Order: sequence, then structure tokens, then C-alpha cells
Amino acid sequence: MFGYLIRIALLSLRRNPVLSTLLIAAIALGVAVSTAFVTVYYVYSGNPIPSKSESLFYVQMDSWDPNRPYSRRRPELPPEQITYRDMQGIMASDIPTYHSGMFVAGLTIHPPDAGQRPFRERARMCFADFFPMFEVPFAYGGGWGRESDRGPEPVVVIDAATNDRVFGGGDSVGKTLRIEDRVFTVAGVLAPWRPSPRYYDPHNGPNQKPEAIYIPFEFVREFEVYPGGNHLIWDDSDGNTFEEHLTSEGVWIQMWVQLDTPEQRQAYADFLDAYVMEQKKLGRFGRPLNNRLLDVMQWLRHREVVPEEATGMLVISLLFLLVCAVNLIGILLGKFLARAPEVGVRRALGASRTSVFLQHIVECQLIGVIGGLFGLGLSALVLRLINRLLDNSGQFGLDLPMVAAGIGLSLVAGLVAGLYPAWRVCRVAPAIHLKLQ
Amino acid sequence: MIEMDAIRKIYRTQHVETHALTDFTITIDDGEFVSVMGPSGSGKTTLLNIAGLLDTFEHGRYLLDGEDVSRLSDRQMSAIRNQKIGFIFQSFNLIPDLNVFDNVDVPLRYRGMKGNERRAAINKALEVVGLSARTKHYPAQLSGGQQQRVAVARALVGTPSLILADEPTGNLDSAMANDVMDLLETINNMETTIVMVTHEPELAARAQRRLHLLDGRLIDLEADDRPTPLVARTDGSPSARV
Repeated sequence: MFGYLIRIALLSLRRNPVLSTLLIAAIALGVAVSTAFVTVYYVYSGNPIPSKSESLFYVQMDSWDPNRPYSRRRPELPPEQITYRDMQGIMASDIPTYHSGMFVAGLTIHPPDAGQRPFRERARMCFADFFPMFEVPFAYGGGWGRESDRGPEPVVVIDAATNDRVFGGGDSVGKTLRIEDRVFTVAGVLAPWRPSPRYYDPHNGPNQKPEAIYIPFEFVREFEVYPGGNHLIWDDSDGNTFEEHLTSEGVWIQMWVQLDTPEQRQAYADFLDAYVMEQKKLGRFGRPLNNRLLDVMQWLRHREVVPEEATGMLVISLLFLLVCAVNLIGILLGKFLARAPEVGVRRALGASRTSVFLQHIVECQLIGVIGGLFGLGLSALVLRLINRLLDNSGQFGLDLPMVAAGIGLSLVAGLVAGLYPAWRVCRVAPAIHLKLQ
Repeated sequence: MIEMDAIRKIYRTQHVETHALTDFTITIDDGEFVSVMGPSGSGKTTLLNIAGLLDTFEHGRYLLDGEDVSRLSDRQMSAIRNQKIGFIFQSFNLIPDLNVFDNVDVPLRYRGMKGNERRAAINKALEVVGLSARTKHYPAQLSGGQQQRVAVARALVGTPSLILADEPTGNLDSAMANDVMDLLETINNMETTIVMVTHEPELAARAQRRLHLLDGRLIDLEADDRPTPLVARTDGSPSARV
């Protein structure tokens, strides 16, 4: 019967192609806009690492000014990054499964081909655990081992674009390139990797692509690299030398740990408390004990990664779809009631009110689905435009859940538009129209 | 087949009340061919609509095939229309987007029959009306007589026990009208009860029994020159004077 209803609906659409095109276009427009902004919201609010989001924790410690909270608006919050000294202190722990301090910096790459000019790239300085902890995918090779952190050894992980640019693509593991003044050996080449949002460092743009190169953290000393992201300090301890910068109270490092069990979490929390209490004895950490371990989703909520604009646009786009659907009610009502004589015949031949209702709802849903398919195509164009405007090269795209959401929205729009007209036409008294046809 | 007892049907508008049927009582037996005549507004079509479960009534009782249909749900009435009743209308009422085959298919679609069963029934019905060669034609490609033949095929494809025909020859010339009447007689010979509304006495005369309506009541024109209100008989005799 369903196939028959689809066939009748298609015949009905063919009967008046101009009107049908208008109906489909209205749904397509509504679905295009709403799906695009649902996708934006979905990307911002989604779980970027569902398999581990509850076992990865962002570490916060309140080493801020004893006389003034880090945030005046929310004085209970500790700073969002930690100092180099504290990172070194807590990296000594062997409780976490994985842990890594990290920051972003700009470094100069000198390609081996003399014909290529050196160029600056965003680099993440991190520890070996960064790669297994965040399940970073590799096309070739892998991350470096923990022993390379200690040297540090000159090993580098590069992304696919850098691999293409420097080596012309392919398996470049073992090849060398100069970064600043040192020659580094390629340990791994990343496979495409685009966590959305970029949860491990939302301070420096949750929509940014991951960095182009990754080198062991401790090259920070050799290169005397200053952070390329946020660097906040509450006293004048930063001094003039790089060593003073490292030992200052400035916060500029993000610290992540992987704690797989409740016992591990408790042990690490105790460890952090003990560390801070020890530091208090040394005259640091003048504020009340305030360590925090936020898992990925807590951290993203805390950072308010979903911009208010995204939420606002989501609501507006859904209202736009609703307006499109509501506008169709009148058109569909006219279209359906004009068909009352045919409905009368079908009722006389045995169609129940439910059958007539279903027949017209199926027609509305067909309009919705066809409009939805066109709308998804338009939505892909809208997302390309948004990507271009935000300069983040393809962060927003239609994946399977978003295609399903688009179809779902088109079905809902079809239902909203068709419910009342279908109900009205199924209530038509057949006897009145049989004589008139 | 049909037993109506004191049926009353009133159409109401804001200012006017029209008594379409007044205490209407009639019995029509299985396999009868009954014609219904009367002037416009006498209640003929209302009678067919109520008999075909397309309209409701205020008062009285209606037994169709022994079943009281007064208080059935819409779904139950639809099922009865689908399985027991075939309709033939003056203006054919074919669906213009569907070809002959698909038009005849419509009642079977609401019966949930399998494809091969439907095809066999449709081909048989079209054979009866002589349109087997025109299954792919659309209504607009057929003459009036052919369209009415399609409508007849659609009415009988589900092998109903009752066919209600509302002026089935009203839009046809006399030759075509006779063809359609021949068809109805053929169908009646297959034990199908037929109730036919018509304005044409010579066609009405081909029925086994003629009913005359005036102002929503049965009258006997054969006994007297003046119309006299009747109640219909229940014993199969022509009519009983009040």
C-alpha cells in the first residue's frame, strides 16, 4: 500500500509542476539553512573523542595572585593554564596512563630541497604521550618514544600537508628536515585528523586545524621558544631572560592526563593536592587549594566552546524552517481541497478517512524528502561558504548524522505543513462531491 | 439486501431545514434490480448516499445484508463500501491521472489484495465491459460511453453484492445508454442487487421494480394519477398504500 501511496503522490506532484516546484523549493530553502546551522552547532557541541572523553582530564591548579582571583567574574575558578615549573613537577607523576604538557609556538622549517624557501609553521611542543593519549592517527610511522622526551631527541611528527610541501608526500619516516637550527628526523606523518572542536587547546581557537608539526617539549629550552598562544602572568617574575620566563609564575601550558579508573583519578587528585601543599610550604600557591580535573566535555562546556552565535543561529534557522513549513499549510490546503471530488470517489470505493489522511501525509512527506534532498545540496554549499568565512578549511561538513538530521528536518517540515490540510481533506463529506465532479 | 425502517434525513443550514427523506421505509431483496425515479430534490441521491454508507441519517434503522449499519465506525463503513457495494455515477467520476487499468484497480487497492489477484480481477472486469484492449488509455482518451463502461468495471471488480447507480446514463446518448443498461442487466443476472436512479422512464421500465420518490417519500404512481405517499413493502410485492 505504501508503494501505491507514493505513486499517487508522484502523480499528484506531476499534475501541477509549477506549484510542486514552489512547495519543494520552500522546503529546500528551509532545510538548507537549518541543516547548515544544525551542523555548525553539532560540530561545536559534539564529543570530539567519544571513546575516551570520560578518561581524559584537563588539569587546573590555582597558582594565581593570592590577592586577586584569576577571574573577577567567577572568582572560584583557577587559571586555565599552568606554569612551566608546575608542569615539570606534575609530569614526574607515574599515576596517569598518559600525560602531556603542551603549548603552541611558531617555528621555522627549512626544507631539505635548497630550492624551497624556509617557512613558519604552527608547532605543538608536547610529550610522547600526546599521540596515544589523543588517539592521533598516522599515515606513516608514529609518535616518538618517551625516551626521546628526555634528551630531547630531534624527532618530529608532521601533518600530511607539511609532508606534501616538504617531501612531496609519501612515506617520509626517517627523512630529515631542519627546524630552527636543528635537523630533525621524521618519526611519523599524520593521517587526516580534524578533532572538532579542537578540544586539547581551545584557548587558541577551537575551530583551528591541528598544528603542522609536533616536536618534543623540552626543545623549548634549546630554541628558547615563547608560547604562540595565551601567556598570562600576575606578578613581575617573568624577567628579561628566557630562564626567568621558564621559572616565572606565568601560565601558558595546557596539561592533559589520561586516568582510566576511579582509583587512578582519586590517586592523581591526591597527588595534585600533595604537590600544591608542598609548593605552599615553598611560599607559592597563596590562594586556597583549588585543583580541578575536568573531563573533555566538562572542559568544553567550561570553555563555552559553543559560541552564543551558533546557538542563536541554530534557533533562528529552525524558526526559519518552521516559517517555511507554516507558509505551505495554506498552499497545501488549497491543493488538497481542490481534489475533494477525487477524495469523494476514493471514499466511495472503500478508502477510510485514515487511508485518505495517510495518502495526503505521504504526499507531504514526499515533498519534504525531495525538498530535503535539494536542501542538503544547498546546505553543503552554505557550509562551504561558512568554512570559507571562518577560514578553517572544511571543519563544517555534512557527515552521515547530519544528512540524517537534514532528512529528519525535512520530514518534520513536511509533517508540519501537511498535518492540517491532510486532516481537513480526510474530513470532507464524500457525498457532497460525488455529484459535482 | 437493504432494509430501511423509518429513515429520516434532514439537511440543515443556518436558516433552512430540508427534509430529504421522511420516515422512509423500504426493503430490497437480494438480486433485485430496482429503479428509483422522482423529480429533482425528491431524495433519490440522498437515498443512494445513505444506502451506500456515504451519508448519515437522523432517525431510523438501516440493515445492509442483515447487519445494522447505523452505528458503525468510519473504518467499518469503508470496509463495507469496499467489499459489498459498487458505485456508478452520472459523470463517471474516473480519476483523470490514472489509466483504465489503474482506475479499475482503485477499490482493490483498499482491500489489500495481492498484485496477481488484482490483475486477474481487473482483466476479468474489463472483459465483461468489453474494454480489455484499452487498459492503458486515460479517461480523456475515451468516449463518454467507454468511460462509463470503465466506471461499471470499477464498480463490479470487487464482486459486490449491491451496485448503486446514480443516473448512470444521464450523460450518454441513447445508444450508449442502452449499452450501459445491457451491462447492468448482465451484472444483475449474476445475482447482484442493483439500485438505479434515473430520470428516464423507458430505462426505469427495464428494472424489475420501480420506485417513485416525492419530497422524501415513496409514492405510487401506478395506482393513481395523483402521487400518494407510500410505505414500501417488506414482502416483495410492488408497494403498499398508506
